[in-house]
Amino acid sequence: MSWLRYIGKAIRNFHFRKIQVLISMSSVTVTIVAVVLVSVLLVERSARTAEENAYMNLGQIIEQVNANLELYVGGMQDVFTVAEKRIQQSPNLHGDVRLGDQMETILSTREDLVTMALFTQEGELVRNLPTNGMRKNTKLTEQNWFESALQYPNSLQFSPPHIQNLFKSDYRWVVSMSKLVQYNDGAQEKQGVLVMDFNFRTIDELSQRVSLGKKGYVYIIDNVGNIVYHPQQQLIYAGLKYENLEPVLNYSYGSYMDNLDGEKRLITIQTVRPAGWKIVGVAYADEFLTTRQELSQFLYGFLLVAIVIIMAVNIYVSAKISQPIQRLERSVQMVERGDFGTNVYVSGAYEVEQLSKRFNLMLRRIRELMDQIINEQEAKRKSELDVLQSQINPHFLYNTLNSVTRMAELGRNEEVVTTITSLSRFFRISLSKGDHIIPLRDELEHVRHYLIIQNIRFKNKFRYEIEAEEDILDALTLKLILQPIVENAIQHGIEPSPEPGLIRIRTLREGDLLNIVISDNGVGMDKERLAGLKAGKLRSESGSGVGVNNVQERIGLYYGKPYGLHYESEPEEGTTVTITLPLTVQDSNSREGGM
Amino acid sequence: MKQLSHLFRTGFAISLLIITAACTGAGDLPNDEDTIVIDMIVKMNRGDYWSTIQMGAEVAAKEYNVSLNVLAPENENDIQGQIQLMEDSIARRPDAIILAASDYEALGQVTDRTSYYDIPVISMDSEVASTKVKTYVGTNNYEAGQKAAERLMELTGGQGDIGIVNFVQGARNADQREEGFMDYAARFPGIRIVDVLYCGSDEELAYRLTREMIRQHPGLTGLVSLSAESSIGAGRAVEEAGLGPRFKMIAFDNPPEMLELLQEETVQAMVVQNPFNNGYMAVAAAVKAARGERLDDKIPTDTKLIDLDNMLWPEHQKLLFPFVK
Repeated sequence: MSWLRYIGKAIRNFHFRKIQVLISMSSVTVTIVAVVLVSVLLVERSARTAEENAYMNLGQIIEQVNANLELYVGGMQDVFTVAEKRIQQSPNLHGDVRLGDQMETILSTREDLVTMALFTQEGELVRNLPTNGMRKNTKLTEQNWFESALQYPNSLQFSPPHIQNLFKSDYRWVVSMSKLVQYNDGAQEKQGVLVMDFNFRTIDELSQRVSLGKKGYVYIIDNVGNIVYHPQQQLIYAGLKYENLEPVLNYSYGSYMDNLDGEKRLITIQTVRPAGWKIVGVAYADEFLTTRQELSQFLYGFLLVAIVIIMAVNIYVSAKISQPIQRLERSVQMVERGDFGTNVYVSGAYEVEQLSKRFNLMLRRIRELMDQIINEQEAKRKSELDVLQSQINPHFLYNTLNSVTRMAELGRNEEVVTTITSLSRFFRISLSKGDHIIPLRDELEHVRHYLIIQNIRFKNKFRYEIEAEEDILDALTLKLILQPIVENAIQHGIEPSPEPGLIRIRTLREGDLLNIVISDNGVGMDKERLAGLKAGKLRSESGSGVGVNNVQERIGLYYGKPYGLHYESEPEEGTTVTITLPLTVQDSNSREGGM
Repeated sequence: MKQLSHLFRTGFAISLLIITAACTGAGDLPNDEDTIVIDMIVKMNRGDYWSTIQMGAEVAAKEYNVSLNVLAPENENDIQGQIQLMEDSIARRPDAIILAASDYEALGQVTDRTSYYDIPVISMDSEVASTKVKTYVGTNNYEAGQKAAERLMELTGGQGDIGIVNFVQGARNADQREEGFMDYAARFPGIRIVDVLYCGSDEELAYRLTREMIRQHPGLTGLVSLSAESSIGAGRAVEEAGLGPRFKMIAFDNPPEMLELLQEETVQAMVVQNPFNNGYMAVAAAVKAARGERLDDKIPTDTKLIDLDNMLWPEHQKLLFPFVK
């Protein structure tokens, strides 16, 4: 029952454009066409060969019968000739005792020789052997053998088989040979009819034995169409059977197809020369042509089996190809629904295996990318939080306000004003309406105000220079990336250094890159420290909140891996930090809107 | 993989199914042309008459692809034996049975039984008292009797005493021949039927009875014998009596002895049935019946009146001497 259910399912899932269906259909079609073509050709060819063979066999059988009959009839003829000669030589037929003995010998050597007799042309018996008395009412002068002997005086005549009714003995079926011969009756030379009767049995049996298939048979007619032998002679006489003799009489040998009552029959004709009889072989077409039917039957069977086997193989092969693809499709469907955890491994054809491997690789990559995105999003959020914090930067504000207070107490009003102004500018840019991306101009302004404040705080312990080419001031940059670096430079480079410090900020355009170089002449860093900084392990606790690492991270998140910070440092020489960003210029409209 | 093997197994199962169907389909075809089995139950297993019937039946059997069993009791009078043969045949369930009933009434019951088993029965040569018979193939015996009478009336000029030698009283064909003869003879007031003898298909008895009849009726001018055996016996008696050319005899069937008497002019004519055709047509009819085709109620076969003039016609020679010996 399960396979029934399966078939039901298969029918429901049937699509014409399925690979399985396409492969099966096309190859089955091709195979069927090929097999049918081959079958038809084969059937035609072998049927024709079989037919030709049948014709040949039939011809050979009839020829064989003919040869036998000719031999037999020839033998009879020889006997007749010998007897005829002997009679002609005899000086007196009536008194010749030796003639009688010789004839007796001939009679005894030929078992099937029934009688021999000589009649006058009027039908009077001259002499006969065996010497049985004659019956009454023989009507011998009306009999075929007597009439034809007189009609054709110089040739030996063969009668159709008939009942020998001349002498008092058994009634026998005989073939009579007769001829008008010369004989001596004492002094007189006379002409008479010599007749020899041969038992018809030998010919009858010979003809009966011939078998031409189940229904086929052989019949013999004489040269005017009298039946010599026919297995259905009585039916023909009774009008129940009919033999089409017209064409038979026209041929002396050969074969042709005859159509009798809708039955196709192959007629083969041979002539028994001495007697002028025609042997006619009748074979039924449906019998010897059964080969064609049998062949086509066999081939139909073969065709069926071949188709079944091919179908089975096709189903198997196409299933082997299409099933993995279907499973792959199902896997992709699951992925489509969001289940990225599915791992596909499909065995099968090489291509499908490769496809599934690639698909798996792709899946893994997607998974990785998704993880990455999640991490990056998290980091972004965190750093944004940091930036938000740094925008407020309470520590820096506190320190600055402290120093403003001190300056106010000392009456340094000018410095107070400068500090407060810068502080105000600083925070304004820090906030910058919540934008993350600001023009380079603003970022530089921001760091300048920071430097002004810090310079006041540190009592001009350092100088600073900011250089920027006018044409890249409109380039866009991430907000708050310079301040943490400058803060670092002051805190870790300038402050510990006894010498007056210098902080230089330059912007460099390098192709489509924007480099911002921050260099100081502070204490610098040794190699370990530098390495630690690069690895992002150092983090100033006392800083204004946004660390260098944060800058590096943010640049990476916004612009990608190749961008970021680059450190160069020599102890006692100073540190140079290069920020590399893509050069992007805000179009004028949005700049105006943004500012 | 599980699904795949399932699929494969299904495919295999379907292929097997188709192959089996194809095989059985192909196997059905030759069955239509299979041989038809026919049992032929006749009255006797000897005699030229029955041998000729068998010869004709065998020719038809060959033509129609029939497996023919010819069965007969030892003796024509062995009615019980023939019934037993019918019983045995019914038990074998042939496709058709051909019956030449030895007794019109006695074989009726067993013939009726064939219809239980749907075996068609063809009655041949002699009819049987059963409505289950599909057809009768054989001589129109009444007409044959009339034919004999017609010739005898011609020969005797419709005058004189006539004797009849029949064979089995109660056998349908014997009765019908006699009836036909009587009915025709009755038109001639100058004709007197002096005696009807029944020889029971015994030549010897026929000879003795005929001799007795000739002795008792010296004025007898004509004799008709209605079967082969009665003809042989009666012919012998007539020949011995040497009754001369005034005495006319019509014989039945074609034993060789009769031909001799015909040539000797002891017998003037013979009514000859066509047993070959009977056998042939009976098998042909049985084949049709076995195939379920409808048949005419009667399929008559010709009888021929053979005399000295026409006995040597080729078609009559074959009729008179069906066997090549």
